[in-house]
This record gives sequence, C-alpha cells and structure tokens, in this order.
Amino acid sequence: MSLFDATAHAFALLFSGDPALWRIIWVSLKTSVIGLLLATPPAVLLGYAIAMHRFPGRRIVVWLAQCALSLPTVLIGLLLYLLLSRRGPLGSLEWLFSQSGIVAGQFVVGLPVLLAFTLAAVQALDARYAETARALGASRWRVMTTVLHEARYGVMAAVISGFGRVISEVGCALMVGGNIEGETRTITTAIALETSKGEFAQGIALGIVLVALALLMNGALMLLQGEAHTAGGRA
Amino acid sequence: MSALLTVRGLKKRHGERLLFDIDALTLDAASAYVLTGVNGVGKSTLLRVLAGLETAQVESVEFEGRQLALHPYPPQLRRAIVYVHQHPIMFSTSVARNIGYGLTARGEAKEQVARAVQEAMDWAGVGYLRDTDPTRLSGGEKQRVALARARVLQPRLLLLDEPTANLDGAAREQVIALIPTLVDQGTTVVMACHDRDLIGLPGVRRLKLRDGHLEYRP
Repeated sequence: MSLFDATAHAFALLFSGDPALWRIIWVSLKTSVIGLLLATPPAVLLGYAIAMHRFPGRRIVVWLAQCALSLPTVLIGLLLYLLLSRRGPLGSLEWLFSQSGIVAGQFVVGLPVLLAFTLAAVQALDARYAETARALGASRWRVMTTVLHEARYGVMAAVISGFGRVISEVGCALMVGGNIEGETRTITTAIALETSKGEFAQGIALGIVLVALALLMNGALMLLQGEAHTAGGRA
Repeated sequence: MSALLTVRGLKKRHGERLLFDIDALTLDAASAYVLTGVNGVGKSTLLRVLAGLETAQVESVEFEGRQLALHPYPPQLRRAIVYVHQHPIMFSTSVARNIGYGLTARGEAKEQVARAVQEAMDWAGVGYLRDTDPTRLSGGEKQRVALARARVLQPRLLLLDEPTANLDGAAREQVIALIPTLVDQGTTVVMACHDRDLIGLPGVRRLKLRDGHLEYRP
C-alpha cells in the first residue's frame, strides 16, 4: 500500500467512526486526562512551594525536578512495572495491564512537567505580588491563590505541556498497560503495534489524531501566551 | 504624644556587610515621618523589616504598649502595619477589587467591603477608575490606588517607600495632598523619600539613616 493509499484509508477509518479506532482514542484521552487531573494539584502546589521558599537543598530539588523532565518514559514504565507486578510492593493493587496502571504512569510522567513549568512560572513572577498580598494581610493560602492567579498563563501552559507529554508517551503505557486491545491500547501503543504489523492505515489515522491534538494544544498555548503578552504590555 | 512603636537593637546584615545598627526607633501615634538618607543606606530595607517582609536581628519590639516579637511576624502587626512599594503592583482584577483586596482577605462582609472601597476611592480621587484594568493606570493613578488599598485597612502605621518617586506635576501633588489626611485620621505615616515637598510638609518629623545609624532631625 502506498503512503497516499494508506493516508486515504486512514481518513476513511477516522470518518467512518471505526469503533476499534475510536475506542483507542477514548482510552488514550481518558487515561491522559485522569492522570493529568491527579498530577496537577500536587505538582502545582509543589512547584509553588519550591519557587516561594528558601530551604537547604532547594537547588538540588530544582535540579532533580528538571532532571525528571528528561527521564525516558520507558524507564518510568520499567520502575512502575516492578512496583505493580505481582511480586512488587504495589502488586496487591492489581493495576498492571489495566487502565489504572496507565493512569499511574501518566501521573508519574506528567508530574515533573507540571512541577517544573509551574516552578518556572512562579519564579518568573514579580516578587511584589506575593509581598503586596502579605502586606495587605492575606493568609498563606490566599497569598498562594493570588500568586497562582497572577501566574495563571504559565500554570495553564504547564497543564497543556503536561497533557502533550502524557498523551504522546509510549514507553510507560506499553510496559504498564500491556497494549491489550479494547482495554489498555492507547494511540501511541497502537501506532507502534500497527506499524510493526505493516498495517499503516490505522497508525496514520491515530497519528493524525495526535497531530490534531498537538496543533490544538499548541494553538491554545499560543493564544494564552498572546493574551499574557497583551495583558503585560498594556502598562 | 504616645509611642505607637518602639524597636530596640535593630540590626540588619547583607552577608558580611552591616547595613544598619539602630539603637532605638520610636514612632509616635498619628504622626508623620520622613526617612531620608543616601541611596543604598537601607531606607527601604528598614521599612520592609518593620512590615515583616524581611528579617533582621532585633532586641525588643513594643507596639501600643505590648511587647511583641518581630519573627515570626505577629498577626497584631500584620493587621496594624501596611507597606506600599515604590512601584506598587496591581493584581490583575479591577481597581475596586484591588482596593478591597485586604478587607476581603480579612473576611469582611461584601457590603462592608463595597462601602469601604467606595469611601477610599472618593478619598483618593480614583472613583472614575473603578472598573478599569489596572495595567492601564498611570504611575500617579497606581500610587493613589495603592494608597487607597492601604487606607481601607485603617492601618495604625503606614510605610511608604518613595511614594512620589517617578511622579511629576499634578500626579505628585495629588499624592502629597493625601498624606496629611492620613495622619489626621490617626495613622502614623513613615515615608522613605528624598522629596523636599514631602520633607517640608507641616508637622512632618525627619529621621535620617546615615552610616547604619538612625538620627532624629528637627
């Protein structure tokens, strides 16, 4: 099958509402969104806390957080596999080769991205925001919500980047999910499998979905950055 | 006149360098002070220490007759002392919400906040800016909004860092005109500044920070 034929077939698959294909897309979106929703609160809180406080070993923590960004997802998958396997410490959860396992993987993969981006966004914010809030009698919690509100474009960029990372990773989903059809097969693991079988149409169709998502997310990010630039440039 | 705040043995270091070593700083209630001194002598730092935004070594603090510690910064001082930056920052919400920020943070009722905000805006002459995006404010407008945001909390002590720096003409005069009214309402105002018109305001006392020591000037 030529590339042109495969692409035409891919679009046909997408628009025909092929249940197997849309099931894969659904599993991917579901596990990524849940993983991201679970990772966002602790990552944002940690990112804020590290950015706002000076403590011994802070630079090491920042360094580790940044290193975690470049950890291969297959390594995260391996560690999770060992934790979740029947003899592992978390084996009793029976999450291996399940969507819960993939969600756990997406949580671990997404957390450092969210943390590092939030940390950078809060660090880049003018320190007078927090000082003004404190000087006006705000509680610690209110100072935090005020600062995060002022850094909202950066935090939203963190969430979008985190989603991009979790939806497009393959190593962890493959190792922890097991690529079980209709259950734990995600966009990326399906592309890997279909390509290895020489079935390019479904792989291309799923690739189109990933590209569409990437375009959408980066478009949203550009809009946000434009909004932030406009807001900052009006003073 | 009764003492509002007395701080003894106040020392601040930046690394190895001793920025100031003040034996005693006494501020009377409902009084105005200017804090002068050459650039870099520590005027802003002194105000920030009093506002609890920076730490320093201190022997004793007495506020309205009560002994307090400066670290951790006590809630009594947080409620009573408000600091305004040289270039005040505005939260990205309306001017009215900026002015009401402190009261909302204290958990005051909405109606009370609205009433106090309206009164503060009338006082500062910024009523026409009520729903304006704060990023569109001029330097003078920002300073007056910041003063209204501080005044609405009815502080016992207001610390102003160079309130008229970078302002000229009418904007500067409008800010200067607000200072005596704050003192009339019972607030002690300390202004770090070089502005001769502020220094020359009637009844304003002068503190000079020189070589790390505080001098009381007539």
